[in-house]
Amino acid sequence: MTGSTVTDTFPTPTLVLLGDSAVLVRFGTVLTDVANQAAIALTGMLDREPIEGVLEVVPNLVSVLLRYDPRRSAAADIAGQLRLRLFALADAPALAGQAWTVPVHFDGRDLESVANLLKMTIPEFIAAHNAAPLRVLATGFAPGFVYCGLHGEALVAPRRTEVRPMVSPGTVLFAAGQTAITATELPTGWHIIGRTDFGNFDPTAVPPTRLQAGDAIQFTVAA
Amino acid sequence: MSAIIAITRAGPLTSVQDDGRFGQLRHGISASGPMDGASYRLAGALVGAEQGGVEFTTAGLALRLQSGSCGVGMAGGSFVARHNGAIVGWPGAVTLEAGDEFNITPGSAGNYGYLRFAGRLVLPAMMGSLATSSRARLGGVAGRALQVGDVLELAEPRAAAPQAIAAAIEAEGPIRFVWGLHAELFPTQTRQRFVETGFTVSRQLDRMGVRLEDGGGVFAEARSLSLVSDAIVPGDIQILGDGTPIVLMRDHQPTGGYPRIATIISADIDRFAQLRPGSDLAFAPVSVAHAQQLLRNQQS
Repeated sequence: MTGSTVTDTFPTPTLVLLGDSAVLVRFGTVLTDVANQAAIALTGMLDREPIEGVLEVVPNLVSVLLRYDPRRSAAADIAGQLRLRLFALADAPALAGQAWTVPVHFDGRDLESVANLLKMTIPEFIAAHNAAPLRVLATGFAPGFVYCGLHGEALVAPRRTEVRPMVSPGTVLFAAGQTAITATELPTGWHIIGRTDFGNFDPTAVPPTRLQAGDAIQFTVAA
Repeated sequence: MSAIIAITRAGPLTSVQDDGRFGQLRHGISASGPMDGASYRLAGALVGAEQGGVEFTTAGLALRLQSGSCGVGMAGGSFVARHNGAIVGWPGAVTLEAGDEFNITPGSAGNYGYLRFAGRLVLPAMMGSLATSSRARLGGVAGRALQVGDVLELAEPRAAAPQAIAAAIEAEGPIRFVWGLHAELFPTQTRQRFVETGFTVSRQLDRMGVRLEDGGGVFAEARSLSLVSDAIVPGDIQILGDGTPIVLMRDHQPTGGYPRIATIISADIDRFAQLRPGSDLAFAPVSVAHAQQLLRNQQS
């Protein structure tokens, strides 16, 4: 199970010219499961059938960025090619993301407060958290950083009001119906629920990250 | 044959850069590359340089050629360069011999200067690029700023082979932009005032972003919006929850959740990067087609 089976019709996309060197295809302005699936499906399609002149395709939570060289390509030509592919998107094969198991040491300093917030015991929270595989919703907020989701309503907690200045690589974060994994040091306003040895960033590897948007992640309790 | 350059003075933001590390945004790595690309390219053309060079700031830079002999091209902003104590033309090119001292101090304008070398910088390319990423800690020398005591090795160094370079005409006037990803979330009146009211470059600037002082209070009433995190491109102007405008630069974060009112056009971002703290500036909107035409004219 990859969790990326298309069950709903994709939302109608909006094309936005981002500066003079990029086009953004937006499937929504809020994070929904179907908008995220559409962004992942379009990324897969553009990887398989690249548009001439597009230098880089970057999936985000609900959008896809296409970067081009404005000295060589016109925005209108890129947008035209994009529209042709968007027409075919609904019939595109569902992306078969890779399946991963990610063991987590559930010992984060916010674990107890998160469980309290959700009116669960810590074991109940861990069991609910690991109950089903999640989808990698997006990558790239920072090197190797991944957002996974979406959790059901029972596991939706707001972000913390304060930002922690730095957390270490491999920190497992939780907020807004998602679980995220850091791969570098960064500040965060999310709850820290644990840590993992699963490294998702190696600058000497090609590609430098292992997880891709659309992959399925089964979190487990690390032995 | 090689030449060894020893760094004897460096400011905190001195870094090795090349054209940039493109294609890695989905892995969370922005392209980096020179803050003023045109000056970087000019410094290279002045000496017939190969990939890479050193970007330095108004703190200046000093180096000693420990061994060998090599051509050095220099450009960007207005700096004063001394070769063994004697002032040399800026921008320009010199050939350094073993034991020579080369010293750069700030001049009247600009934030960033470039040294390029007639020879190949011996550094490991990360994902095809030598560019130092301050955010991802990649590239350059161990992914960090250059420090006193660092040495740079040049393979197959040559003397400077200067090319005839037409002096670039410095554009003046407002910094031009295209309306940004979230422009429609700002009230019409705010957008109008964004264009009519001037801003000032603050002291808080680095390779990731430049904070602007909003003396006219254009964004004083800015509301804190909750937005889904979305792609950022260099030149994006985002407005923080407290109303502070920040222009995101070469080492920008790949995605962000603050509203972005505008994006500085590619033809003007080098010029913007060179504006010193305290400089006043105004913004002017253009269409994407016009922005692209300006870029093609500039680089033809």
